[in-house]
Amino acid sequence: MKKPTIVDNTIRIPSSQDYLADVDGFLEGILRGYGVDETVIADIAISVTELVINGIIHGNKSDPDKEVTVVISKKNSHIEISVEDQGTGFNPDEIESPIDERNLLKEVGRGVFIVRSLMDKIDINKTKRGTRIIISKEI
Amino acid sequence: MGGPDATILHEKLHECIEKGQKKVVIDLARVEWMNSTGLGILISGLTTLRNNGGELKLANVTDKIQSLLTITKLVTVFEAFDSIDDAVGSF
Repeated sequence: MKKPTIVDNTIRIPSSQDYLADVDGFLEGILRGYGVDETVIADIAISVTELVINGIIHGNKSDPDKEVTVVISKKNSHIEISVEDQGTGFNPDEIESPIDERNLLKEVGRGVFIVRSLMDKIDINKTKRGTRIIISKEI
Repeated sequence: MGGPDATILHEKLHECIEKGQKKVVIDLARVEWMNSTGLGILISGLTTLRNNGGELKLANVTDKIQSLLTITKLVTVFEAFDSIDDAVGSF
């Protein structure tokens, strides 16, 4: 199986949750280098892990030959992060509200809801490779 | 908290249930933050215990996790306490 690769502000991992810690370590290192507050780092780390897990499971269907790519950048007063998989994507509008009373005890289905709650902006785009989700957060 | 953690917690809870220990407190003092996977693991634990006539409570929840419980309305599902003693005393 492939291994994670890091080049500058980009990390690329095979479709396995075994590499989530690599993504988190990479992310937190860069954000601390930018001088981002620890509370904001936690919000971003939570959001990125949600999107990477979605990319692995729903995008790449856990195919070890496919990868998830995370790119971090600082643009003026906000951090922008792109998470791209190589799958066919999903429609977030089809996800039932996790805060609906009948869904509260479901073990899954909160990822995108949490990202929307913690981040200032989220854009979901289909690309030639797969699905790219871009999130941003004021710092 | 991720996949392996879910297995560990699941096995631990079943050990407790088999011993007749069905009132469980999870101490989150050393858990700075978790994502939806972690929340799912806690819900699974809660459901497992309730299905066996028990209950799960949380102690030492950090501000970040408390915020996540609020956002997801899981504050209405989990009882959280400032200390293990308070949680144990609530049973």
